Amino acid sequence: MASLQRPEIKLESLKEDIKEFFKISGWEKKLQNAVYSELSVFPLPSHPAAPPEHLKEPLVYMRKAQGSWEKRILKSLNSMCTELSIPLARKRPVGEQKELLNKWNEMGTDEPDLSLFRPVYAPKDFLEVLINLRNPNYENGDSLSFRTHLGLIQVPLKVKDIPELKEFFVELGLTTGQLGIDDSTQVPPELFENEHVRIGQKVLAEQDSAAAQQYIRQGSPTALRAELWALILNISSQPEDILYYEQLKTNVIQHDLLVDSLIYKDVKLTASNDDYYFVFEDYLYQVLLCFSRDPSVLGHFAYNSASPPKSYIRGKLGLEEYAVFYPPNGVIPFHGFSMYVAPLCFLYHEPSKLYQIFREMYVRFFFRLHSISSHPSGIVSLCLLFETLLQTYLPQLFYHLREIGAQPLRISFKWMVRAFSGYLATDQLLLLWDRILGYNSLEILAVLAAAVFAFRAVNLMEVTSLAAAEAVLADLSTLKVMPLLQIFLFATVT
Amino acid sequence: MSRVSVPCHVKGTVALQVGDVRTSQGRPGVLVIDVTFPSVAPFELQEIMFKNYYTAFLSIRVRQHTSTHTPAKWVTCLRDYCLMPDPHSEEGAQEYVSLFKHQSPSMTFPKWLSHPVSCEQPAPLIEGLPDPSRVSSEVQQMWALTEMIRASHTSTRIGRFDVDGCYDLNLLSYT
Repeated sequence: MASLQRPEIKLESLKEDIKEFFKISGWEKKLQNAVYSELSVFPLPSHPAAPPEHLKEPLVYMRKAQGSWEKRILKSLNSMCTELSIPLARKRPVGEQKELLNKWNEMGTDEPDLSLFRPVYAPKDFLEVLINLRNPNYENGDSLSFRTHLGLIQVPLKVKDIPELKEFFVELGLTTGQLGIDDSTQVPPELFENEHVRIGQKVLAEQDSAAAQQYIRQGSPTALRAELWALILNISSQPEDILYYEQLKTNVIQHDLLVDSLIYKDVKLTASNDDYYFVFEDYLYQVLLCFSRDPSVLGHFAYNSASPPKSYIRGKLGLEEYAVFYPPNGVIPFHGFSMYVAPLCFLYHEPSKLYQIFREMYVRFFFRLHSISSHPSGIVSLCLLFETLLQTYLPQLFYHLREIGAQPLRISFKWMVRAFSGYLATDQLLLLWDRILGYNSLEILAVLAAAVFAFRAVNLMEVTSLAAAEAVLADLSTLKVMPLLQIFLFATVT
Repeated sequence: MSRVSVPCHVKGTVALQVGDVRTSQGRPGVLVIDVTFPSVAPFELQEIMFKNYYTAFLSIRVRQHTSTHTPAKWVTCLRDYCLMPDPHSEEGAQEYVSLFKHQSPSMTFPKWLSHPVSCEQPAPLIEGLPDPSRVSSEVQQMWALTEMIRASHTSTRIGRFDVDGCYDLNLLSYT
């Protein structure tokens, strides 16, 4: 607005001058990026008669299944509450607030007694629910027929086949350069890597989200990754963002939540035990405790099939003006939840930026991995995609594993729910998450899972039990994801 | 032109079967729904709106009365309109659908008024340019306002989740 005071601004050309000002100041790009971001996140406008629940999830039976699952979680949390006589939330006494503020940067040194707490659920509990999903309008028949699904998932969602995946992931093809393949030490950097880095720097200079998303399909150079992800997710640390994070921190100091203990327990059980991530333990608390108290996360429930748990202020049961969400962000963490944050700690060291990036990753992608929906990137579709790919392209392996009681999904489910975090080496995981951002889809998780089975097929054909199959697939830390994906999609003879 | 919904009577579905053979195993894939309009004045049908439940293809036939002398005849408005691209998967299975008048091939249907949509007159152009001194003072006012907003510190608490400072809760609610 300051520039409009200048005398050379003319009324006749005001509209054009403002447009020019937008371009020069970079605001045009920022607006474009913001619009692009909205388009990537929100579903397409639907039919005017469609009610809000239809936008969350169009299939009624899926909505009902999600509702039942949520009720189970609430009951579990309520019983934990009553059994342990711990309130869902309490205001911290001033002394305790001061203490917490003092050790904010080293909450990991705390060793609270968490033995009585148990995770609300683990991925395998969730898998059982998905296995029991049925479409009431779908006639499967009780006996095995050509219409029954051989895998664990029995709902007929549409999933891509390999020709469609090849088209969707065309940039992963054999003739396109990839980071994770064409930057290995044997390949001279002049062939691909140098030029790719140069283009990446240009994309960052242009500050164009859409271009960044396209670029990152071929992987991100390590030095540019933090900035590229921030650009794609449309995160820029403005003073108000830092202020917002500080406000969340204040909320953590003032109120103690039962959910906090679940977070502590999860971090102690998972990330703290991981060779790559234990150094980030303190960061994880700083992000996850604030995340639980962030009401802005509630916005994503418009397009998430899940709904935030509700409660009432003590003594005001049933009075709507005293209704609140619990936790404030509506997300109850489960066993392994902290692994969504851990890999990001390699990229971002400033807590409020780390926080913003994680929050955006969650409301764009991670929420789909633990809610029941028909979305192509939802966990149900990913499971079906995995099983279908395996059945179609490795039928012998699939049949063999099924015969020995080792349904493949029982092994790969935990990989997909965690987006492979904690299973792959971190550099490989980041290359994988590059593609999640690049394609704005989680389908690559299912493809990778199938590719891993294909890679270890020879060993798997020889096992005779579920335990032995688990052992063959226990250690993925040596895998190189891009060659596996490329071979599975583009170089497997069918 | 405001739009209103036309009262109609939707009858139950009737399965189409070949001949008189009724078997419990063979399930017909075609069902017919009759829709009648209890005596209404002639109306211009713009849109048919419904929620799908696992119907893959839709055909609509209309019985026309052209005049009192000729018998009424059935005309197909829509044939095999695809609602589910892959009938064996969930795509489109429970979607809300609208079918518009222009989607059916043109046909003379006396109940549908044939008055073309009147072209709206474009809004009259404001004569001449606005008064520069008035506009510039408005711009000055706008600028002053933004400066005021920038200078003032907002007192609203951001990220509120409590009710009047209280977040002392009962148990979680199941409704």
